Amino acid sequence: MFRLDADKPVTLCDGITRRDFLHAGSLSAAALGFGLTLPQMLALEAKAEKPKQEMNCIFLFLLGAPSQMDTWDMKPDAPSEIRGPFKPIITNVAGIQISEIFPRMAKHADKYSIIRSAYHTQAAVHDIGHQMMQTGHLFSPGLEYPNFGSALQYLSKSSADVPAHVLMPRPIGPTGGNLPHGQTAGFLGKRYDPFVLNADPSSPEFHVQDLLPPDYIGAVRSERRKKLRDSVDNAVKVFEGSSEAALMDENFHQAFTMMSSPRAREAFDLSSEPKHIREKYGMNKFGQSCLLARRMVERGVRYVTINMFETVFNEITWDIHGSAPFTPIDAYKSLCGPWFDNGYSSLIEELTERGLYKNTIVVASGEFGRTPKINPAGGRDHWPACWSMIMGGGPIKGGQVVGSSDAIGGYPVDRPVSPQDFAATLYTALGVSLESTMPGPSGRPIPVCDYGSRPVTELLS
Amino acid sequence: MRGSALLFMMAICGLAPIAGVADIKILPGNISLHGRSDRQQIVIERFDAGRASRDVTRQAHSSVGNPAIVKIGTDGCLIPAGDGDTTLTATFGKQMATVRVHVDGIRGVQPVPGFKRDLLPVLTRAGCNAGACHGAAAGKGGLRLSLRGYDPDADYDVLCRQARGRRVTPGSPEQSLVLLKPLMEVPHGGGERLKAQSPETATVRAWIKGGAPAPKPAEPETLLLEVFPESAWMHPGDKQQLAIRAHYSDGSVRDVTRLVKFGVTDAAIATVSDSGNVSVSGRGECAVTVWYASKVTTARIVSPFPGAVPVQPTSTSTSLVDKLVNKKLQELNLPASPIASDNEFIRRVFLDTAGMLPTLSETKQFLADTSADKRAKLIDQLLVRPETVDYWAYRWSDLLLLNSKTIPAESLNSFYGFIRKSVQENKPWDTFVREILTATGSTLENGAAGFYVIHKDPFDLTETTTQAFMGLSMMCAHCHNHPLERWTQKDYYQMANLFARVRLKTGDKPGEVFVLTADRGDIPHPRLGTPLAPRALEQKPLNPEDTADRRLALANWITGAGNPAFARSIVNRIWKNYFARGLVEKEDDIRATNPPVNGELMDAVTGYFVTSGYDIRKLMRLILTSDAYQRSSIPVSAARQDERQYSHYFARRLPAEALLDGISQAVGIPSEFKDLPAGLHASQLKDSQTASYFLTAFGRPLREKTCACERQSEPNVAQALHLVNGDTINARLKAPGGVIDAIIKAKLNLPEAMDQLYLSALCRYPTPAERKTAEAILGNMNGSVSRIVLEDLSWSVLTSREFVFNH
Repeated sequence: MFRLDADKPVTLCDGITRRDFLHAGSLSAAALGFGLTLPQMLALEAKAEKPKQEMNCIFLFLLGAPSQMDTWDMKPDAPSEIRGPFKPIITNVAGIQISEIFPRMAKHADKYSIIRSAYHTQAAVHDIGHQMMQTGHLFSPGLEYPNFGSALQYLSKSSADVPAHVLMPRPIGPTGGNLPHGQTAGFLGKRYDPFVLNADPSSPEFHVQDLLPPDYIGAVRSERRKKLRDSVDNAVKVFEGSSEAALMDENFHQAFTMMSSPRAREAFDLSSEPKHIREKYGMNKFGQSCLLARRMVERGVRYVTINMFETVFNEITWDIHGSAPFTPIDAYKSLCGPWFDNGYSSLIEELTERGLYKNTIVVASGEFGRTPKINPAGGRDHWPACWSMIMGGGPIKGGQVVGSSDAIGGYPVDRPVSPQDFAATLYTALGVSLESTMPGPSGRPIPVCDYGSRPVTELLS
Repeated sequence: MRGSALLFMMAICGLAPIAGVADIKILPGNISLHGRSDRQQIVIERFDAGRASRDVTRQAHSSVGNPAIVKIGTDGCLIPAGDGDTTLTATFGKQMATVRVHVDGIRGVQPVPGFKRDLLPVLTRAGCNAGACHGAAAGKGGLRLSLRGYDPDADYDVLCRQARGRRVTPGSPEQSLVLLKPLMEVPHGGGERLKAQSPETATVRAWIKGGAPAPKPAEPETLLLEVFPESAWMHPGDKQQLAIRAHYSDGSVRDVTRLVKFGVTDAAIATVSDSGNVSVSGRGECAVTVWYASKVTTARIVSPFPGAVPVQPTSTSTSLVDKLVNKKLQELNLPASPIASDNEFIRRVFLDTAGMLPTLSETKQFLADTSADKRAKLIDQLLVRPETVDYWAYRWSDLLLLNSKTIPAESLNSFYGFIRKSVQENKPWDTFVREILTATGSTLENGAAGFYVIHKDPFDLTETTTQAFMGLSMMCAHCHNHPLERWTQKDYYQMANLFARVRLKTGDKPGEVFVLTADRGDIPHPRLGTPLAPRALEQKPLNPEDTADRRLALANWITGAGNPAFARSIVNRIWKNYFARGLVEKEDDIRATNPPVNGELMDAVTGYFVTSGYDIRKLMRLILTSDAYQRSSIPVSAARQDERQYSHYFARRLPAEALLDGISQAVGIPSEFKDLPAGLHASQLKDSQTASYFLTAFGRPLREKTCACERQSEPNVAQALHLVNGDTINARLKAPGGVIDAIIKAKLNLPEAMDQLYLSALCRYPTPAERKTAEAILGNMNGSVSRIVLEDLSWSVLTSREFVFNH
């Protein structure tokens, strides 16, 4: 109703978004022209609930699964085959220690909380952890749940000239289970899939390919081309039943919207960042993705997923089985640790400086933990029974440790947090009611959280 | 009038039961209980016109002739009470059913439960040995069991001999941890897994009390499972209880409903509880999978779509494909779309078979041809075209991972040559695979030997061979027992040992590698430290001392009749190419717990393929000549929701290579690939390393991992941006010497130019509306057309859905 240019009338209800108000505001002169008086406008505004601040989220997915004993749940008093090669360091919060591989992060412990009792009870398959940690659900055949970002986009009905939900640098590739990874919109339909960057932002030639037409195609020709194309698209009815064709329509719509939006182009323009800022984040694909995520959130993107790595094979990742094609444990100190420490610390520093941290939740987690005991190859294997994860920003209280694990990091001893509980926490922090449902297959309403999921209330202010 | 009356009759038959045809049955039909702990789940089912259609177990009135022999439990289980014979009678409305019930073994000493037949199934059902619990490679909480009980001897040892006998204490069964823990009488990380009063707990107790006997080789093996009802016709909101019986090698039969693991293939249609109660929530067909003791069976739940009964468009088709597709559509009440127009057909069949568009003159000729068999003739010509050979050589190069990162270019070319020649000769698929698996010698002389250069170690070979030729993923079992399937690490290493004696030697010529086999060498199992006898999955082990090439045995088994997954796997790949949805999805995930969407059809097409001598071309002809393939892509009413049963042709985005070649063809400007001859089509590329932004953006496979998932076929925003702004289309429109220049040279007017552009790209003439719009936008229909107008017209056609999709 407020959006004069919206495809469908927007009904006035509690779900009205801030953006709709802004939009209505900018068009109020036109609205008056259509017969709404100013007092009527104000009355309409008063009827709607006062909009809350929109929460954003940046999810740093630590693909491969970091070892809790070597990162945020050190066991310095355990035998050497448990405690591993790294030493704990103090942080700026008394009583909280983390691994020496994160020296910068240690200076910001007041800004985030550590959950040391994350666990799941399913098979120790990477893909299964990916699903649960990014959707809050275990998939069944024929029932793929939406990623948190897709659900947020659907439930908040946000529509803007920038994508609501961005995935970068690339989607998760093969990780052994050949199962879905929970990074798509699942049953919500592909129009809620994230915009996938599919490029390495640390590469010198990084840019979003083809964002602008060739320079000899001016506005007039561009318009003419579009009209001719519409005429072809409207000529035949063969695509009525095809969800893929509907998706292509949606893609073209989004492409045209982005092309005409300076804000969207700016969001992807890393070259306008000064060199010292870029270097602070780390000149690697993770660090530059973190910087890009900050630019995006500044320009209206609601949800960003960063895959720190893409596959667990033949790439250095958190998946430290110790032997090829996996990663040896030392790589935490030489690569994984520094990449994460610089990218993450710079991100929360800059979000704070720019006033964005109060409405941007930053999550960092892998798909499970690792075996307390170091294996004969000098690595650690998969262990879903216990791991550590990081949450901060938005309404999430910092400076805390939630839950704890036993003496060797094997099992939670208090406050166990399941992927379902984590999902409930994230949705609550994002302002999504846990009573919300989404239309599943054949329109069946499916709750955003599994029955019995409980948010970690001590994290929420 | 006659016609409509007939339709009306059909409507009645299909939808509502006719009075008198309905009856009820008690399932299973013959019941025999042995011993006090035996049970039988019963289902009282209403049948309409011979189809199970409603579970009335709770609504029906049931009684037994002699309650001293058997009682009915609240959960629909029969509980034996005394030896003898009696009857069970159920009445529901006016219908009645009776079955005989035999009970024996109640009096006297009860036999002690066996470890394998009785105890392990209880532990498995309770989840004790699941991958997430004690079945994990490292065990849990100090107790390590074999995954889902695959190794009974080891499990017995762990339970009865380790932990100082605290787990099982025959003297005081109630003090055994194996009972205390799952009953939560002492703290248990896994929570309560057994109920105190359940028959499962009774089984564990009786086993301990009976002296906790060890597994015996003589214990009967499970041979097969029966499910009741096998299929049921239901509607959203309905529920259906299933009953499962196992048949054993000693001839005994027993109810195992409480012990099996249930699953569904499509949770959008139905879900199933742990006790086998199915709830239907959507429409379509869904299989309930039943897993017990490594045996799998399925029950079919059919939930027809609402609306009128489908009337088949051309019931004259005698194709086995059409008979079975149509049968399924009728069962599901899905209307089939009419046959596609000639314009649609010629474009579709060219793109799906040869990855190319027909030329302007081919299209005109076909449209003008009035002979009745012109489609069949076109199919026959198309199947032997060189472009078709290119297209399928490319597909098999995807499957076999031809990628110069892993094989020298010279050997890659030679391997490609072998593949292309095989496609050209229409080499039987089993011969093709056998030649690859048993290849030896110089890779330059025997291209197939390149397979062993690309896949160098026995592990990679094991995983690739099973995935590529059987649609079976073995990777998990490399490091530990497969957490989701039945394959163990032992299976994996025995299989890998079949490849243990392959050796590579660098040849004299550039890029040459020799593949040889040694007569000794084995791969040790990592935990046992010693090699296991080489053995194909679930086959007899080979003699490790035998020096014959082990790969011969492997090839015999893979391609042999005893391995149905081999033919199914290739049939499914080809079916998926033409129908966009495999009979099994995902395309390369063939396993008993993932049954095909139309099992009868899969069996029939696979049977046809095997009988034909693994003839790929014949299989393609069977598919292409069917009505099912030739249907319009416009769904009829309710069939809009059908994405699995082939009621209409499922429109899909063109594969990267076909789209690029299609653009080149329609504009008349070929692609340029670095260091390769001009004019080469994308479908003629041999190596996935050939650089192309377009092919990468549209999801060509990288050929790094044997997985159909490597090819990305979904549209995305980056693709849309590239089509609109990128140089693939825009640079070609500006380039000299193509279709646009030809039109200018021929001085065509706007309608003529549109005819040519539309026919080349879309295989159809412009509609009057399109002509009108073009005229309104571009003006002047009679003079010759300017270059800029032609560029914009071409652009609008090449970026349209209709061009980017096959439909």
